[in-house]
Amino acid sequence: MTRQNVHISTMVLAVLIALGLPLVVHSPTYLHIMILLYLYAYLTTSWNLVGGFAGVLPLGHAVFVGIGAYASTMLYLQYGVSPWIGMLVGGVISVMIGVLIGLPTFKMRGAYFALATIAFGEGVRVMIENIDYIGPLKLNGPRGLQIPPLNVGLANMLFLDKKPYYYIILFMLIAVLALTWVISRRKLGYYLNAGGEEPEAAMALGVNVARCKLMAMAMSSFLTALAGTFWAQLTLFIHPKSVMSLDLSFEIAFIALIGGRGSIAGPVLGALLLRPVSDFSRIYFGDKLPGLHLIIFGVVLILVMIFQPRGIQEPLTRAYNKLVDRIVSRRARGVLESA
Amino acid sequence: MFGLLEDSINGILMGSIYGLTALGLTLIFGVLKVINFAHGSLLMVAMYAAFWAVTLTGVHPYVALVLVVPFMYLFGYYLQDIIIKPIFKAERDVREPVTVIIVTTGVWYVLDNLSLLLFGPQYRALTPNPLRGKMLEFGGMMVSVPKLWGFVAAMLVACAIYLFFQKSRMGRAIRATSLDRDAASLMGISQYKIYNIAFGIGTAVAGVAGVALVPFYNVFPSVGVLFDIKCYIIVVLGGLGSIWGAMLGGIIVGLIESVGPQFMTATWTEAIVYGLFLVVLFVKPSGLFGARADW
Repeated sequence: MTRQNVHISTMVLAVLIALGLPLVVHSPTYLHIMILLYLYAYLTTSWNLVGGFAGVLPLGHAVFVGIGAYASTMLYLQYGVSPWIGMLVGGVISVMIGVLIGLPTFKMRGAYFALATIAFGEGVRVMIENIDYIGPLKLNGPRGLQIPPLNVGLANMLFLDKKPYYYIILFMLIAVLALTWVISRRKLGYYLNAGGEEPEAAMALGVNVARCKLMAMAMSSFLTALAGTFWAQLTLFIHPKSVMSLDLSFEIAFIALIGGRGSIAGPVLGALLLRPVSDFSRIYFGDKLPGLHLIIFGVVLILVMIFQPRGIQEPLTRAYNKLVDRIVSRRARGVLESA
Repeated sequence: MFGLLEDSINGILMGSIYGLTALGLTLIFGVLKVINFAHGSLLMVAMYAAFWAVTLTGVHPYVALVLVVPFMYLFGYYLQDIIIKPIFKAERDVREPVTVIIVTTGVWYVLDNLSLLLFGPQYRALTPNPLRGKMLEFGGMMVSVPKLWGFVAAMLVACAIYLFFQKSRMGRAIRATSLDRDAASLMGISQYKIYNIAFGIGTAVAGVAGVALVPFYNVFPSVGVLFDIKCYIIVVLGGLGSIWGAMLGGIIVGLIESVGPQFMTATWTEAIVYGLFLVVLFVKPSGLFGARADW
């Protein structure tokens, strides 16, 4: 058994477990927790294209979630357009906004970039809260929009059961992970990494750093907006403080940073670690100890940054590689002995 | 026209208190070259400290200064010493200390939610409050007395900090470290000690702002967030690291917030402030008044 075969079988096993989970778990609460876990892993992986590979710190990604959610919901409520199409419309609008933010901000250094994205995100949220109508389009200001649970079915991405949602977000997550893997193995991935680590050196070697970052931003904002539509269809109620909140922007960044920015496994591991913490502390301590999960988030974040600045994926990857080495070498020894 | 003048005066007063909160942030930035994302939370801690000091001892709200300011100084000093210093040491050769930003964000979340856990979500206002709703009338205009005192405090603190940095030995050592940390270390200045002290001073300034705010502003766990984002906007408007820039930036934001509602819905003024911030960031990142920014 070669190393590559072990990697492939691990991945196949993980996918099979994820696919089979709803056959064993029937409780809608637990399925909902899993759906949120995948959703956050998806959002964080999309964030990671900019925040990880391009080496900047965007703290306003909730804007794109909001654009995706609002675009598909408004199209569905007013014109009966299927959210599957609305999803793509939201994605395209998001790309335009993302490039619009990226053009002036990517020239800025660390903290300035983070501040600019915060200000942009909060500025858009405040604007949406103040607008009831854009021409004929109803935004409904701070009260938000509600999707009536009628005409359920795949065509409208509306289900009464949690299972279809589970499979949709699972496939979205697998797709975005595959996309990240492909990018990281291609020229764009190397260029992004180089531009993030040593912009001057990369530019001296002829890498168009700004263009690579813009491409990453465009992809990231498109993918994030798709999750926004999914969110709207899952919760059936969106308002600026939910889909565009600063807390959401920060939570996405936190999960990526704790998991390990710039790695493919990092966002998934971060979501696996932090989402259950947040869900279970909300279920069990939500009324008695409000904000407990955010204290845990903060403490974990500080500890990880001090002791494992590359995130929890680093020690976990090391342990996994050691395990693979042992399996491979044992097999090799067995082959030798039998020969 | 008359109302406009009254609004402008109250805007300048409130803006100077915004400037005072931003002053601590800009000081910490000037020396450590780090944006402290937990600054609003430190202000929140100061407001709770002032609130409890007054409530438990029953002294006049401004007497709380003698307790709150040293407490906040030590709080900032040890926050930097215990949590932020290790990151600095690990990251000393990195040009853009992004990890420090992340850690201070972690501190923000811990502090805000810890106070939610300890004190609950309710809005608290000082109950025996000799300054509540007190107004001064001159020429038919009503001016809030606690805001006026806040303005006086802001100006005094800004002058004191300026003189301290220009004249005192410690102030010079801090400026030397801010200009070139390695050269300052070679001159026998302990770099990390200076960082601790600078962080302590910045936090103590937030302490003064907390005491100034408590007589007319409610205290609640997420009060810092309201000031946090305003502080970033103010320091970038005024130029990161500039003392007088912070005061002027604060006054500009205060003016927009108080005069704006004469012309539009009040909630739109917030969007205007964000818009102005982004324009300044894109067009002139060194700030409106061209403060020296060496990064």
